[in-house]
Amino acid sequence: MTAQALLLVGFALQKAESSGDILAAGALALRALVLAGLFFLLVSRTRSVRPVRARVAPLARAGIALALALALTWLVPVIGLDSRDAERGVLALVAFGIATAALRRATLFQVIGIVLVENALALAALQLPSGGAVAIELGVALDLILVALVAVVFYERIFAEFGTADSATLRTLRD
Amino acid sequence: MTSRELLALALIALPALAALLLLVAPSGVVPGLARLAALPPAALALTLSALALTAPSEPLIGDWLVLDAAGGLLLGVIGLVGLASVLVSPAYLATSSTSLVSPERRQGIYYATLYLFWAILLAVPLVGNLGAAWLLVEATTAASALLVGFGGTPRALEAGWKYLVLTTLGLGVALLGIVMLAAGIPAGGLGGLTWHELSTYSGGSETALGAYLLLLAGLAAKIGLAPVHNWLPDAHSEAPPPVSALLSAALLPAVLLVAWRCQQALAPVVGEQTTQTVLIAFGLGSLAVAVPFLWRSLPWKRLLAYSSLEHMGVIALGIGFGSPLALAGVAIHIVAHAVAKALGFYAATPLLGHEPQAGEHPVTGIARSKPLLGASMGISLAALSGLPPSPLFVSEVLIVAGGFEAGHPWAASATALLVALGFLGLAHALIETTVGDSPPREPGRVAGLRGVTAVACISVVLMLILAASAVMLPGSELVDALRRGLS
Repeated sequence: MTAQALLLVGFALQKAESSGDILAAGALALRALVLAGLFFLLVSRTRSVRPVRARVAPLARAGIALALALALTWLVPVIGLDSRDAERGVLALVAFGIATAALRRATLFQVIGIVLVENALALAALQLPSGGAVAIELGVALDLILVALVAVVFYERIFAEFGTADSATLRTLRD
Repeated sequence: MTSRELLALALIALPALAALLLLVAPSGVVPGLARLAALPPAALALTLSALALTAPSEPLIGDWLVLDAAGGLLLGVIGLVGLASVLVSPAYLATSSTSLVSPERRQGIYYATLYLFWAILLAVPLVGNLGAAWLLVEATTAASALLVGFGGTPRALEAGWKYLVLTTLGLGVALLGIVMLAAGIPAGGLGGLTWHELSTYSGGSETALGAYLLLLAGLAAKIGLAPVHNWLPDAHSEAPPPVSALLSAALLPAVLLVAWRCQQALAPVVGEQTTQTVLIAFGLGSLAVAVPFLWRSLPWKRLLAYSSLEHMGVIALGIGFGSPLALAGVAIHIVAHAVAKALGFYAATPLLGHEPQAGEHPVTGIARSKPLLGASMGISLAALSGLPPSPLFVSEVLIVAGGFEAGHPWAASATALLVALGFLGLAHALIETTVGDSPPREPGRVAGLRGVTAVACISVVLMLILAASAVMLPGSELVDALRRGLS
């Protein structure tokens, strides 16, 4: 996930034409590194005795994610980005992110699903014909870091309370 | 910079500054400082609201800042509910013992986060750019998720986590819609997404429709419209009562305002009828999902949460119908729902003190053991059910009539039927909750009851004024301004 974001940073720097573009790439890099640091710290502080078993088997998960990606690229009309390949890449990443968040039981993977979706949107912003606005891109980076910080607070507390980071323990509220 | 722009910036800056102060202030001064700091933003919000509503034909429309009739309505609501939530918070903090944070920093972090959430909420109706509006809505998620889980109990953690993950994912989908729009706007980039530039979209109506659907689906996850409402009953029921009030009375309609602005801005590109039909579908779906739950015996705050789902559906329907009568109904509905729902949630603090099982079980016969508490809960529930002379009765009649006026007889009829069924469910809950069979309860004082009684008295006056003034709204300059939006 971090490597993917840093790859996007490299791409953004290669395309950069103004100081604003470089600042936006910097925001993306900062976001990637802060999130990597946060998650690394989190995993090292909350060692699970045994891994959280996935709700759906890996092959079935891959199949669902691929089907969702194909459905999205079929359903969503031309977005208007610089290249159609980039559009397909964006939609596939969004689909993989949603599938990860929906199908994985480990709470950390649900956050990683969100970050995957945000990486897809960063790629889309880089491929806009007229470029993105630096203020908005900085804001998106800041928002995602804030959300990740809150997620870390919850994750630690959930781990302390239930002794596991399995989202299956979070299913008591029903009507 | 005009005086309205200065006031708007001060309105956002004041609670944000208060949040910082409360975070670093010694714990002894936090409660007093929190109460004191609530007055200026509330006064400013009401002033700006009055300015917008008394001159609705002269909106302030800038690239980053707007102040129009719809925004004015929301500012008044957010200002009032925010003030009341701060003022009733000491009773919650005094009665709850668990927390997500350490006990010594509990008050400071609670108030700082509450003020931050309030500041961001106040900015949402004022923002003039779809991209910036998205950022603010996303920022409300971070602040309010912490507040939802603030109790630190397993149930609160579950509710907070669900809220964080589902709404962030939803907003990711909405951002994809925004990027699609940004690609087709001649002014260029995400910075060109001002409300008035959106209608210049030139990427084709099919792509615009795709973007609009993604936007609405994403925002619906945050508004809590069915079928993406799963977080709503959990978050509303497990959050501290003052926060539940802000979530239901201020956050949901504020995000609905963003959806409304998108609908108005994209109507020339996608087609007015298409944009309205999407909102009508979300509205009817939400009503249909909410009504069966209103017929069930539910814990007090969960009942109020499903009522929020119902009322957001009614407002979405009113916006979707878009006729003068329907929009007059929307204006009254937003304010009246906020007043009645906030009162209901505030009553939960003394209720949980009096009947600790009320968090997980339905309560009955509260008026028999605590008449003032039962009266406050009864006023809230009677108003929410639409029992005359509740202003919500008037607004629902206007919205249904507006549906017929707009040429949607089937949707209007379905709305009338579902609203009537919802009324029956809530009327039954009203009788059971207030004067139903009462189990033996410990007598004695309950924290927060005086504050709730005061809020109930003010709410009754406000709702009667609203119901009386509703007759003046159809055909007024305000409704014209709501129809025009920011165009």
